[in-house]
Amino acid sequence: MKESLSLKRYRGNTKWRSFTVAAWLGWQVESNWADPFLFSIYSVARPLAAVLILVVMYSVITNGVLDTPLFAYIYLGNALYMLVGAVITGVSWAVIDDRERYGMLKHLHLTPMDGYWYLVGRGMTKLLVATVSVLITLIFGVLVFGLPLDWATVNWGLFLSSTALGLICMTGIGLCLGALTLQTARHFWSMGEAVAGALYLFTGAIFPLDVLPSYLIPIGYLFPVTYWLEAARRALLGPHFVGFPTLAWLSDGALLAILAGFAVGLSVVSWLYYHWSLHQAKEKGLIDMQTSY
Amino acid sequence: MSELAKATGLKLFWYTVWARAYPRLIGSFREKSWMFFETVLPLLAVAAFVFVYRALDAPADYVGFAVVGGAMTAFWLNVLWSMASQLYWDKEQGNLEIYVMAPGSLMAVLLGMAVGGLVMAAARALTILALSTLLFGVSYQLGSLPFLAVIFTLTMIALYGMGMLFASVFLVAGREAWHLSNLLQEPIYLASGFYFPVRAMGFWVATFASILPLTLGLDAMRQLLFSAGATLGFLSVPAEASILAVMGVLFIGAAYQSLSKLEARGRRDGRLIEKRR
Amino acid sequence: MGANAVHIEDLGRIYKVRGPKHKGDARTLVALEHIDLNIERGELFGLLGPNGAGKTTLLKILSTLLLPTSGSARVEGLDVVKQAHGIRHLICMVSGGETSGYGLLTVEENLWMFARFYGLDNRTARQRIGQFLEVMGLADRRRTKISDLSTGLRQKMNFIRGFISDPKVVFLDEPTLGLDVSAARVMRQFVKDWMKAHPDRTILLTTHYMAEADQLCDRLAIIDRGRLLACDTPDALKRGLRREVTYSLKVTLGAQELTRERLQQVEGVRQVTITPSSNGYLELALILAHDEALTRVLAFLNGQKSSLISLDKHEPTLEDVFIERVGRGLDVDTSKRGAHE
Repeated sequence: MKESLSLKRYRGNTKWRSFTVAAWLGWQVESNWADPFLFSIYSVARPLAAVLILVVMYSVITNGVLDTPLFAYIYLGNALYMLVGAVITGVSWAVIDDRERYGMLKHLHLTPMDGYWYLVGRGMTKLLVATVSVLITLIFGVLVFGLPLDWATVNWGLFLSSTALGLICMTGIGLCLGALTLQTARHFWSMGEAVAGALYLFTGAIFPLDVLPSYLIPIGYLFPVTYWLEAARRALLGPHFVGFPTLAWLSDGALLAILAGFAVGLSVVSWLYYHWSLHQAKEKGLIDMQTSY
Repeated sequence: MSELAKATGLKLFWYTVWARAYPRLIGSFREKSWMFFETVLPLLAVAAFVFVYRALDAPADYVGFAVVGGAMTAFWLNVLWSMASQLYWDKEQGNLEIYVMAPGSLMAVLLGMAVGGLVMAAARALTILALSTLLFGVSYQLGSLPFLAVIFTLTMIALYGMGMLFASVFLVAGREAWHLSNLLQEPIYLASGFYFPVRAMGFWVATFASILPLTLGLDAMRQLLFSAGATLGFLSVPAEASILAVMGVLFIGAAYQSLSKLEARGRRDGRLIEKRR
Repeated sequence: MGANAVHIEDLGRIYKVRGPKHKGDARTLVALEHIDLNIERGELFGLLGPNGAGKTTLLKILSTLLLPTSGSARVEGLDVVKQAHGIRHLICMVSGGETSGYGLLTVEENLWMFARFYGLDNRTARQRIGQFLEVMGLADRRRTKISDLSTGLRQKMNFIRGFISDPKVVFLDEPTLGLDVSAARVMRQFVKDWMKAHPDRTILLTTHYMAEADQLCDRLAIIDRGRLLACDTPDALKRGLRREVTYSLKVTLGAQELTRERLQQVEGVRQVTITPSSNGYLELALILAHDEALTRVLAFLNGQKSSLISLDKHEPTLEDVFIERVGRGLDVDTSKRGAHE
């Protein structure tokens, strides 16, 4: 039977095939709920609860005064940070899921699929779900708390380019964690979340970096998420954006250039580390280990 | 043919409890990497909330609230992930069948899981508490250590009783169990006031949130540990202690009833032996 | 030994089919229907059937993991529905391909944990663990974490778990599944030795391996699509097959040429196949109406000056019994059978 040229190209392109099949699989796994209503609640309740914790904390101290630049800073940073957690945990969790729950990791690695792009694909599903959560949170913020987000004044060029670069960086971090997970035990299900939680502290997600002790501030410069959040805030808040000293001296172009550098670097590092870790895992016979207790 | 002497009744109950606690206790020491990932990294997350309060120039006691709340998340997560959905994981692995077939009660199995998990959670909580106290210069004004110990104990009994109740419900749940556990993280942190006085949520929300033992337990502990705690507390400490004691009895009783009913239902519907992935 | 270890009366089990359904999909699945069975104490009873026949469902009901939807069953005189807790003190089950246990615990620790669930004190538990590990050849692996064990060794450990509490009734659900020949042989020998040493105990074994069933079982039942088709000793089941008798003979060349037509003229010979062998002999495959016809064949060959070199009789096998009763092989899955009216 003659194959079409496009089908031949699809079959021949292992990376693309691994990515698309993994994304499809990730969606099947994520959406395999008995109750779609519960799934909807889950996708809305968790992100809103997370942001409301900060809103209540803020409100308790300021006696309910919310129309300040700091509130917008905190709210927006927390909302956008959901993408960070989703991508980073999505990739590392896929390794645990495939290895320990479904016992499929070894079978996947018996196929000619590209493991690196497979993990990228699995992470993308979480990203998709998180994007919906981010949108809901932002809309909620605008409607309920008067978040100064005007779609007409958003700098879309800056937002989309910084977000695209930022996602590449986050995916790279997720892949590094996923690679580490190949060699570690089941309780590392929390590793992705723990790392994302830790980054919360040093990336200016929910408070300006200036609040950190001066000797800790430079740590923030080491993470791409710091620059992405700054660029995204500038783009989304437009004239309502009030910068804080730590990053105010960086122009929009500088932010994008730094992000681009990180994107390239993390892509290379994650690719190398993933393949090394996979090799180590195969050498130690860890691809099909079960570690529950 | 002479038969082996085997324990029954209460003796068998305790044998089962300690046998089930054993893998948790030993497993925690054999795979030591959790000591880093489940203490130091969560500490960083707690620190983030501390710095939010600092950014807001909040009074010093609020930093203490965040530290104590962050330490107590260890127990909530342990109940959620290592109690509530554990029977789901055991079902997946084939251990649940063996537990059900064994003459020891499932309550004993759950209690064993609780005991083992409590040790792990306590280590995490103490580490977070100790390091946070040192790093952020938290100062405590402890009223009564014995009373604090009583509050903590009552909170744990009620909390793990609730965990057993969740576990029995999840006995017949499939993959929804995992998602339900996931759903109950941030909303509970919010409703129960893990990082702020629960009174800030308003009377009715705080009242409904009090169904969770950690709500009142945290509130009581903060009142005993911090000078601002008393003015920002929801109910008085004796009142909260009494409610926690009643909760403990009710949750454990409900867990026992629920476990029996749901085990019977699981046997009837074939859910104890299915693997719904 | 007498007295029933297991008594099953008109047992049935219907499952509700969950999940998304399309038009025409069945809403219920009949796993078992009208099962009547008595297993005496001291028997090693086998249950044969293809995939999806209902063997595991039956075992799950008897081991109190599942409730029947109709009928009744008793294990050691106790009702599986109303007296499940009492039964649990008396039974254990081992399934093939099990992944139970905790990976971070050693073999000894896992077995100790399960022994404690059955109420054994520490000393007794450790003593029995040591004995069983020796018997099953796992003594040198007692301190190995089970996550480091191969499938076969893990199954051996699970096998030990099934016997460590000294149960009165043991359910073995395809216990040698996926094991290599020597490991399977060790397990079968263990089962035989255990039954010999404990004549008051009972084992109910499900298996796909005919030879295993033939070798081990005192009696066996054939189950298919939830129904019991036959129940008897292996020999009686084989004898019950109405079959012609098949013989293979190797003979020397006779004075005259031996032909199929000439042999078929001998009374009682239904079918003949003659194959010259490489060393100058003739191999005859004969289907005879009855054993007595063999005498006439031998007399005929003698008359032709043809000498008998070897003679083999082909007995019907359990597989023959199975195929005749069930109508197909063991590997045909019937688990997706549709709705019952």
